[in-house]
Amino acid sequence: MRIPLILRIGALVLATTGFYTYVGQMVPQKEVQPPRETNLSGNVSTSDMAQIGRSIMEGKGLCLTCHTIGKTGALRFPDLAGVGARAKTRVPGLNDVEYFAQSLYEPTAFVVPGFPPAMPPINKPPIGLTDQEILCVIAYLQSLGGTSTVTLQTKHHYNSGATAAPAPPAAAAPPTGTPK
Amino acid sequence: MTQSFARKLLLLLASVAALVLILGSVTTALGRAGAEYQAASQPPGGQPVTSDSQAGEKLDAQKAAQDRAKPYEEAEYRTFPVVGSRVAIWAVAQLHLSFAAFVLAVPIFAFIVEVIGYKTGDLRYDRLAYEFTKLLSVSFSLTATFGAFLTFMLIILYPKFTNYLMSVFSPTFLPYVLLFFFEAFFLYTYYYGWGKFHPLVHLGLGLGLNLVGTGIMLIANSWLTFMMSPRGVSDTGAVLSVREAVFNATWMPINIHRIIANVAFGGSIAAAYAAFKFLQAETDEERAHYDWMGYIGNFVAISAFLPLPFAGYWLAKEIYAFSQTLGLTMMGGAFSWLFIIQAVLIGNLFLAANYYLWLGMGRVDGPQPLQKFIKYLLFGITLCFMVWATPRSIIATVSEVRAMGGSSHPILGYLGVMSAKNTAVNILILTTFMSFLLYRRTGKIASVTWAKTGHAAQLAIFAAAAVIVIFLGIYGYFVEATVRIKLSVPQVLSVLFAMIAITVIDIFLFRRAQKTGEVRWGRIPRISQYVLIFIAVTFTWLMGLMGYVRSGLRQHWHVYGVIRDRSADAFTPTLGFATKVVSVTVLLFFMLIGVVFWISSLHDRPDFKRKTRVGDDSSPDYALPHSHAPRPTKS
Repeated sequence: MRIPLILRIGALVLATTGFYTYVGQMVPQKEVQPPRETNLSGNVSTSDMAQIGRSIMEGKGLCLTCHTIGKTGALRFPDLAGVGARAKTRVPGLNDVEYFAQSLYEPTAFVVPGFPPAMPPINKPPIGLTDQEILCVIAYLQSLGGTSTVTLQTKHHYNSGATAAPAPPAAAAPPTGTPK
Repeated sequence: MTQSFARKLLLLLASVAALVLILGSVTTALGRAGAEYQAASQPPGGQPVTSDSQAGEKLDAQKAAQDRAKPYEEAEYRTFPVVGSRVAIWAVAQLHLSFAAFVLAVPIFAFIVEVIGYKTGDLRYDRLAYEFTKLLSVSFSLTATFGAFLTFMLIILYPKFTNYLMSVFSPTFLPYVLLFFFEAFFLYTYYYGWGKFHPLVHLGLGLGLNLVGTGIMLIANSWLTFMMSPRGVSDTGAVLSVREAVFNATWMPINIHRIIANVAFGGSIAAAYAAFKFLQAETDEERAHYDWMGYIGNFVAISAFLPLPFAGYWLAKEIYAFSQTLGLTMMGGAFSWLFIIQAVLIGNLFLAANYYLWLGMGRVDGPQPLQKFIKYLLFGITLCFMVWATPRSIIATVSEVRAMGGSSHPILGYLGVMSAKNTAVNILILTTFMSFLLYRRTGKIASVTWAKTGHAAQLAIFAAAAVIVIFLGIYGYFVEATVRIKLSVPQVLSVLFAMIAITVIDIFLFRRAQKTGEVRWGRIPRISQYVLIFIAVTFTWLMGLMGYVRSGLRQHWHVYGVIRDRSADAFTPTLGFATKVVSVTVLLFFMLIGVVFWISSLHDRPDFKRKTRVGDDSSPDYALPHSHAPRPTKS
């Protein structure tokens, strides 16, 4: 029996879309939920803050989309392994907390040489971490090669506490093309 | 099965389908109305309704009083039954865009084909252009219908956000409507005026149709690109400059990308139509015509498809420039695996397009010495396809990850990075271009005095482009990120230069070429026509997928970084779910385009005449007094 043309074409269309749907099922399946604000009470310990900071970096902060921890080779953005130690001396005049705060609130003020000025301010949309969430991230970053010292009460230049002025940009790339 | 029975069956099926559609629409509308009525009539505080009629009346009276006292509140979201609001909007938008792409693309190449026909005086081109245009009329109505459907759906399901977009872009709506009016004017005068005006006047109508259509697309693109890369508004969304909102960072890259992609898509659908008609054809003449039409449609599609990745690079570059977070979400975050699916689609497109060209070599009489190169081209295409489809990280078990020392394979992992993928796609483009050149040369021998030098120069340019692309691809592994991301530009430029330079040489090289065999249009295996339909389905699916990534990239934002999506659908679904939605929409599109093809083909049908009884030679008095010619011809 000769199969009508319309059925043959229909079968081809169905088989083609079926094949692509199948390919779509073969890749990793991940549903991404909108980020939720982390509830932080005043008595969170520094080590707990570091743990919370790690989860914020993996999730809402999107930090690990670009940054790696403990990876070498041709990297697109700075690797964060040992950054807790490097931060203390990275920019003259800024201690590690101030340096991290500057990197997160005003990322183009200092850009690590060899990398593009591509990081967005973390406290603003679309990422929009709260001041407390950023302190947790700082706690985790300090723990990478150093010791976490911050608490939820820690003040720095960007949360209207300390008066430490950020050092003038050193080896900073021009802020052209800076994201919002 | 007799023809008469088949007709009756078709009639029955159509009636049932129409009834189901009407019942479905009425049920949905009643369901919506009923849901709202029920919600409004719930007893306050969840109090049980007593059976006592007086108590019931009292409650009703209280409720009615409360309802009257209720202040007006604007709903932020409403829910679409069963599939949810997002999927409903998604499907309607994709259908609207698919038809819009077709309606915008077909006039571009119909106009070009008509110009060629006018310049050469070859009526075949005129007939071809008319045949393309025939598909437009019904498609235009469907585009407008889905456009209106999409607008209503947005107003119903996302009222607050739609209101916001309308307030930002209110100055663009009147020009949009005016252009739409002119689009209808130009389209119908272009179609119905075929052969009725001086050819130059008719070409003017075609040009007007293209200009107005492009204008409509540019305005609509400003709305959707604003959602991805907003500009001209404050952090809270207050409008500062409509001009900046229109000319946002991704507006022009999307415009260019869409124009090229529309032409590729439109060409593939027109080629599918020709394939359908070829397979239906009963005479050699019809087969020859539709084979030629399919070839032209596919040629248009592939010619537009080749520069498309370059337009894609530009768009991606602007997305990164606007927001690295957005760019990295696309390429390294939630959507990174989508590009593996894209690689499969594009790999299939390249394979199918090359296969069609190779089959086409059989149209030419006599020996075909160039066919021996096909196996090398196939090897090159397959290799590039494999590289492009290699993911950076592999889905593996814990023990496999341990054995590999990470989620990347120790060797194959190197093929999963952009340096390898950029190289693969550029070589794919060069190889397909080479296939086209071989096809073009089949049955011809260059007879110019400098033929040998010309061939050598073409080969040298091709080899140089391939070497540059591969060298820069490997070099990318040894340099810093800031240098590496810039290497794709010289790769792209070398391929573009090679294609242009080789084409120019080829045109002069094969001018007055010696023919070794005639081209026999229609002499091609039937499977080639199924390849054309496969290409059209793959293009449509690819458009659906890339439309999803463009829109889904915003994740939980209606307007990225400005207006947050707080609906139940704010999450990003899995890629598996997304591909299912794309597939269902593609199937719906092909069902509808089948209707478009059918309606378009009615024009060529003979007029209906009732069968007369034996011996009764009188004409029926209701028969139409004329018979449609296959097409109007120009004087």
